[in-house]
Amino acid sequence: MNRMHGIIFAYSKCEKLKTLVEHRVSDSIPYAARYRMIDFMISNMVNAGVTDVGIILQDKYQSMLDHIGSGKDWDLSRRHGGLRLLPATPKNDPSRAFRGNMEALTSIESYVQRIRQDYVVLANGSLICNMPMGDVLQEHIRSGADITCVCTPHCNMEKKTTYMLDEKKNITDVINGSMLAGGYEALDVYVLSKKLLLELVMECDAHNEYSFRNAVLIGMKDRLNLHAFVFDGYAARIDSVSEYYQRSMELLDSSVRADLFMKDRPIRTKDRSDASTYYGPESQCTNSLIADGCIIEGEVRDSIIFRGVHVEKGAKVIGCILMQDTVIHVGATLKYAIADKNVTVNEYRMLMGHSNYPLAISKFSIV
Amino acid sequence: MKKEVVAMLLAGGQGSRLYVLTGKVAKPAIPFGGKYRIIDFPLSNCVNSGIDTVGVLTQYQPLELNSYIGSGQPWDLDQSDGGVHILPPYVTQGDEGTWYKGTANAIYQNIGFIDLYDPEYVLILSGDHIYKMDYAKMVNHHKETGADCTISVMEVPWDEAPRFGIMNVDEADRIIEFEEKPKNPKSNLASMGIYCFSWKELRAYLIDDELDNASQNDFGKNIIPKMLRDKKKMVSYRFDGYWKDVGTLDSLWDANMDMLARNGGLDVFDKEWPIYARAPRKAPAFLGENAVVSHSVITQGCTVEGAIENSVIAHSVNVGPDAVIRYSVVMPGAVIEAGAVVEYAIIGEAAHIGAGARVGAPPEMTKDPGQWGIAVIGPFCEIAGQEVVEPNKMLDRNHEEVRRK
Repeated sequence: MNRMHGIIFAYSKCEKLKTLVEHRVSDSIPYAARYRMIDFMISNMVNAGVTDVGIILQDKYQSMLDHIGSGKDWDLSRRHGGLRLLPATPKNDPSRAFRGNMEALTSIESYVQRIRQDYVVLANGSLICNMPMGDVLQEHIRSGADITCVCTPHCNMEKKTTYMLDEKKNITDVINGSMLAGGYEALDVYVLSKKLLLELVMECDAHNEYSFRNAVLIGMKDRLNLHAFVFDGYAARIDSVSEYYQRSMELLDSSVRADLFMKDRPIRTKDRSDASTYYGPESQCTNSLIADGCIIEGEVRDSIIFRGVHVEKGAKVIGCILMQDTVIHVGATLKYAIADKNVTVNEYRMLMGHSNYPLAISKFSIV
Repeated sequence: MKKEVVAMLLAGGQGSRLYVLTGKVAKPAIPFGGKYRIIDFPLSNCVNSGIDTVGVLTQYQPLELNSYIGSGQPWDLDQSDGGVHILPPYVTQGDEGTWYKGTANAIYQNIGFIDLYDPEYVLILSGDHIYKMDYAKMVNHHKETGADCTISVMEVPWDEAPRFGIMNVDEADRIIEFEEKPKNPKSNLASMGIYCFSWKELRAYLIDDELDNASQNDFGKNIIPKMLRDKKKMVSYRFDGYWKDVGTLDSLWDANMDMLARNGGLDVFDKEWPIYARAPRKAPAFLGENAVVSHSVITQGCTVEGAIENSVIAHSVNVGPDAVIRYSVVMPGAVIEAGAVVEYAIIGEAAHIGAGARVGAPPEMTKDPGQWGIAVIGPFCEIAGQEVVEPNKMLDRNHEEVRRK
């Protein structure tokens, strides 16, 4: 199982995520009470036996560096191989953002050349799913395809790429945008051989092509044998604050949790050495996901509570997402809000958003 | 490389009084306080005190303890120089070597390990105490007083003194006499089983003790009394924080309940003195629509649909709808099915309490208060639906009753 190398694109910046990406890229947004989005993809790779993972970064990666560290918490801190953080910029113009993931790959061409595995899996750090990547590799080898592309039969994301498949799950068409009946939505996870990847990187570089989808999947469709791996589990991509809120609230559904958190494929994250969460004598806590290290003394309902949060006596937290170390003081009320890390809401304050327009409070704010 | 201090953690105890829980686990590996195991406390104390070389002496059922400690990474003890080392008894050429015959013999058999680091001082710690202590302060006290041996002591209520090893001291807190469980104690300073020795002195005493066939090779029974007789400088170091020996089921339950006293017991939320643990990779806890939780500690990986009151719940515990847990300690992976009632009990790892079962009862509900005690369900034990387990009863993993020792 050691034949696959992982490359994660972790520099996406979606402006509609507003305050959530003020100080970070989407890939390092806290998610599901104790994780960052990228934890899912790194864990998918590690759980499939991948030992070498390169993470491409550009801009605002301080929070990512802080989170990933040496890769120890994912068992990727190794003498040989392991985790490699790859801050990069476009080759010919370091001042601008990558136009596409092919451009990102050309900027790390020398790294790609030194990959010691036969196969490479490419994925976005902001895709939330628990995917059997070992199965994807097996299917790739079995089918003899040039590139295996992972897709989902569920069309919950609307705006991405659609694959049309034949009965052997070979991709017959790649469509930009709209979801056609009978189509499968692309999850932008690809498995291919290192040799082919390197050829594609050099070819795209030579022709100033930058998009994997346009240049490779659409542009070389007739030349390459594209195969699909249909992933049926829960998958989420988050491009806006309201989407973040909705996808987070879906976690209160036990079937979604069962799809994301499984015994055999655990999601790993940075260990913070928190104590177990303490619930006070007057606490009322229902229908919520609660991480360790919290002190809950007030009322919490329909909420996602991250590590180290303190909800004091008489405080009410309803339909909220409270990120790490946020403190809600005595008697304060917070409804339909997303409080980023280390937010302080003072005594008896009242803050209210709406379930389809949640109030987002930025990191370190004091209300 | 030379180290100033090496800590030796005695973790070999069979914990016979905790037998029902320790069937396959060494005592220090018993889950405690939600996300911890007992050994996390001394190990974290070492790291927080700046001690980076720790020998863990094991011999009884070491598998779980060994895999728990692993490379020592959770405690930052995975070091290329020093770090944490598991030290089981071993046999040398010519079949020499034995099981650890006693606490002192365990250290004696590892003189070679300690000599590797050529330390000035050696700390002897116990693997079954729950406390937070800055060993650096104790070592400083040892240095300042120029002692050969410093013993950490704490004042206990006079009526409890006969249960402890009692130190009688002079006005300068120098130890003049040691009495094990005295009927009429002259002092209420109890030994906490934490010793700091100057290594040269201890080394000589260990070699001497080994030659004495009459010796039980025990610190409390042999080494300390011998040093006292030899008029060595024995100094007490007073400690006044939270400290609890969790060597019995009752004290284990008590200490867990203390974890709920936010200001009285041990503050595990203190960022200045974190207690580290090897954390399992689990999803956050989920509290369902009808969950009722108060004055309790709950760890990640749990799913709670019922009611939890005054209890300590470790990771990955499932509490079904209408189940009730009161004044209990529930260890990792246990399942409490719908409608089951668990009161004043310790539920071992991965035990299964069937729907509608009843385990334990409050003291005031018991007909004969003299017969009351906490109920204990061993690890992996299966309690059938509607089954009743009386207070004070203990069942091992095979559902066989165990008598209290």
